[in-house]
Amino acid sequence: MISFLGRNFVEKLITLFFISIISFSVVMLAPGDPSEIDPMNPKFTKEDIQRLREAFDLDKPLYMQYYLYYKKLFTNTLLSYKDNQPVLSKIYERFLNSLPLFIVGTFLTWCLAFPLGIHAALRRQSFFDRSTTFFSYFFISLPSFFLAYLSIIFMVKFFNVPVIGLATFGRESVGIWYMINDRIWHLVLPSMLGAFAGIAILSRYVRGQMLEVIEQDYIRTAKAKGLPDDQVYYKHALRNALLPFITMFGLVIPGLIGGSVIIESIFAWPGMGRLGYDAILARDYPVILSLNFVAACLVLLGTFVSDVFYMAADPRISIQDK
Amino acid sequence: MFIKRFLIFFPAIVLLILLQSYFWVPNYENQAKGNPSRLTQYITASIGDASVLNPILNADSASSEICDKIFEGLIDRDEDLKLRGRLAKDWKIYEEVLFYFNDHPKWLKKGFTSPQTLKNFLEKFFNQSTSHQLGHIEQIAILPSYQEEKNVVEQLPAGQGGIKEEKHKITLQHPPRLKIILTEVDQDFFSKLEGLLGEGYFDQKRLKGSLIISDARFQEKEELYLKQYLPVTEHNPVIIFHLRQGVQFSDGHEFDAEDVRFTYEAIMNPENRSPRRPDFEPVKKIEILNKYKVKIIYKRLFQPALTAWGIGVLPEHLLNQEQLIREAQNKGLDVSKFGLRQSDFNKMRPVGTGPFIFAEWRSDQYIKLVRNESYWEGPPHYHEYIYRVIPDMLTQELEFYAGAVDHYGAMAHQVDRLKKETRFRNFSGLSYSYSYIGYNLRRELFQDKRVRKALGMAINIPQIIDYVLYGEGEATSGPFLKQTDYYNRGIKPLPYDPQQALELLRQAGWERNSDGLLQKDGKIFEFTLITNNGNPYREAILLIAQNAWKNLGIKVSADRVEWSVFLQKHVDVGNFDAVVLGWTMGIDPDLYQIWHSSQTGHFQLNFVNYQNPEADNLIVRIRQEYNEEKQIELCHQLHEIIFDDQPYTFLYVAKWTALLDKKIAILDKDDKGVPVIKKITPTKTGTYSFYFNKWIKFLTVPLYGPQLDTG
Repeated sequence: MISFLGRNFVEKLITLFFISIISFSVVMLAPGDPSEIDPMNPKFTKEDIQRLREAFDLDKPLYMQYYLYYKKLFTNTLLSYKDNQPVLSKIYERFLNSLPLFIVGTFLTWCLAFPLGIHAALRRQSFFDRSTTFFSYFFISLPSFFLAYLSIIFMVKFFNVPVIGLATFGRESVGIWYMINDRIWHLVLPSMLGAFAGIAILSRYVRGQMLEVIEQDYIRTAKAKGLPDDQVYYKHALRNALLPFITMFGLVIPGLIGGSVIIESIFAWPGMGRLGYDAILARDYPVILSLNFVAACLVLLGTFVSDVFYMAADPRISIQDK
Repeated sequence: MFIKRFLIFFPAIVLLILLQSYFWVPNYENQAKGNPSRLTQYITASIGDASVLNPILNADSASSEICDKIFEGLIDRDEDLKLRGRLAKDWKIYEEVLFYFNDHPKWLKKGFTSPQTLKNFLEKFFNQSTSHQLGHIEQIAILPSYQEEKNVVEQLPAGQGGIKEEKHKITLQHPPRLKIILTEVDQDFFSKLEGLLGEGYFDQKRLKGSLIISDARFQEKEELYLKQYLPVTEHNPVIIFHLRQGVQFSDGHEFDAEDVRFTYEAIMNPENRSPRRPDFEPVKKIEILNKYKVKIIYKRLFQPALTAWGIGVLPEHLLNQEQLIREAQNKGLDVSKFGLRQSDFNKMRPVGTGPFIFAEWRSDQYIKLVRNESYWEGPPHYHEYIYRVIPDMLTQELEFYAGAVDHYGAMAHQVDRLKKETRFRNFSGLSYSYSYIGYNLRRELFQDKRVRKALGMAINIPQIIDYVLYGEGEATSGPFLKQTDYYNRGIKPLPYDPQQALELLRQAGWERNSDGLLQKDGKIFEFTLITNNGNPYREAILLIAQNAWKNLGIKVSADRVEWSVFLQKHVDVGNFDAVVLGWTMGIDPDLYQIWHSSQTGHFQLNFVNYQNPEADNLIVRIRQEYNEEKQIELCHQLHEIIFDDQPYTFLYVAKWTALLDKKIAILDKDDKGVPVIKKITPTKTGTYSFYFNKWIKFLTVPLYGPQLDTG
């Protein structure tokens, strides 16, 4: 067991190393320079551009750049091109902003997808099943930015309340209770919009899994024994249907970065997705690469966690030390 | 069954908690009603966040917008785009000219036997004669000869395309020099003086013997070094700034000449990587004459250098070496690697002399400024200036509509949408830019100017303005900003006339063949028109132009390329036929980088390879002319030449558009001190926020005019 974990960990480290090389090459080999180096500015001379390239290490060979970049990253001396702030603290600050959105969104996804999926599976071909199927595909196919605009316009025009940003703008002096609720309110729309597609997809999976499991012999046996329906479905069937979702849960973690670029931009939410998006537009290489690295770590962490959970949950899976 | 109940009630409770928060959130009306201070807040929305709140370091528009409120320069432009004093009360420009005494026997014979005799001759001449063209002189001085050793760094090609720097020593033997102080800058002074002294007095080659290059490898650089280090004649324009007295930084420290010098030095310090450095490169020296008087000496004639002093002045007392060392030590950082760029000043505590003071910055959320109560021109009416970051244009519009934002960069179609609402007022004005189609003049195809003219006449520009820009643009005919006097209004844009275009092409030898395509010497007229992708206006023009030219019988393929590929693979290396592009410009009429024939190399901006000796001469004369009337005259001539050559098809100047609540107005006082409310209107040159410090928001739309009831 321990040796499995150790080996798994080492494998992940090697993967991470290759990811770092590939992502570095992709970013650096793409044409273009950081936006600070503006060749179309009539006032810039060749020497000025050379000076900037030197300051950003861009004049060195690629492998040296790679070495310097990761050395700076691990010693926390890597600075953003754009504002000269340490990249890691920038990312951490945004991470804290993205976290509530991510937690609430994930919560909503998983809390709502299961009851919907189970119910649809148990009442197969009913009106409920058909309508959840319809709405699932509806939300999967609807682009989230479109839905976001619609809901913002709806909220602003009919309820006349602010929905943009982390909190209502300019209300710093109100009581703590108001403040907490204000922040919760600002979470509602973006997290729900982020969750919609997730619920739609996940509930389909849950339905499929449940359908598969309740056809099994042991469920028929349990029913034949005379166990109450609830116990059959929620204890015997659900547990077995849950297994594949452990893998899926591990893959949720990277969504912290990538899943929210559009929603964060529309809702003026100062999160990690937006940080990455702005960095790409400005070709702020340190921020792009660091976020990429963090995302890679999160993916590997996610798969690692689900491997471990899987082992713990399913007694049929065991690791033999060779 | 617990699990079943849990699966039902838990999501329900989560949703309830989320949704109940609605009842604690104020709606937009309540926000403003119970909040009288909202009237004294100005909230503007921006797509991007600022990055560096330091006027000498920032390179993005968001940062510079904030810096303009916190910092102030020595000068800026008034509503007519004329320069006016801010931190400088006024200024004086004159010139020091220098030349080497010529000891060739020819001149000695003529009586100029020593620098002293030459000086006496000139003094006598200037004192006696008044009918000459040489202007007024204040003083003539003799600088003795001296020897100087200089280390020069040269870049040599190293293996694998790299560059190696090599240092070597040169010895300069400066002959005696005469320095003349002129009351006015005159770029033709030496040619006039040569007329007085005799043809050939200012002979550069004569000084060859005064330069010794010890390293034989660099012998070939002799001519270059002579020009650079022993220029036979030299213009040194001088500006004296008289600073405003009693102006304080927002921390109470008085502003003085030291701050001006410090700002200049900070810009020139290579470690700071200031993007403004090129603006100050022509400065030779800065001297403090007294606490409120600064003298700036330039290396050469370069009139646009003056406007660089609009840069915000930094507080020396907060950013000098001592302070930076202390900051580095407090943070436990390496002192040698800690500079202005690393300081918290740029992020947490910028201090300037401007009308607003920095208060708070929440990254990607907002930046808050409060007014400077002791601003030398009187505090602004608004108490707070808030810069909100809302990255999405539609969200901005909704926030504006709901009253949570007072201003946003409304695009033409958004203005069109809200124009009919009675609560808003809309503005538009010419931007500092123009769009064009540039032809690669290296190509055989475009060498005839009749062809270029015909291509321009085939495009219906008024239609582009109406449909692509929603009417928010104006046709332009030349390379100068349309709202400045440099633009020659006598030159009208090319008319839309496809028939005339065909006629011109026929004159140039292009005839329609049996397929309806234009043909000359067996070759059909075909080329590629490209632009960068992601710019909807340019993409529209691409198709419109392609179609218009197709109607003439020209085979045009159109392509869009990603911006950096567009620059690196096409524009920078001259590998294109024609491009759709635009220039954003400063107000100065300096066209050197874009139009001078010396700027046609790879990675230079005259990428269309425009070469016209007449234009070259004018371009150089314009940047050296300090007399505005003469400068305008020269610009008009240049405009005419470029228009005649049509190296670009000049398309249009886009307009900026803006929306504002009608409740916002200008509150001013008339001569008797009676408050007057005035409508906000764009100034002649097209900025509506020129009087921003006098803006204020009223509860209802105000009645304009003198206000009798001041209570």
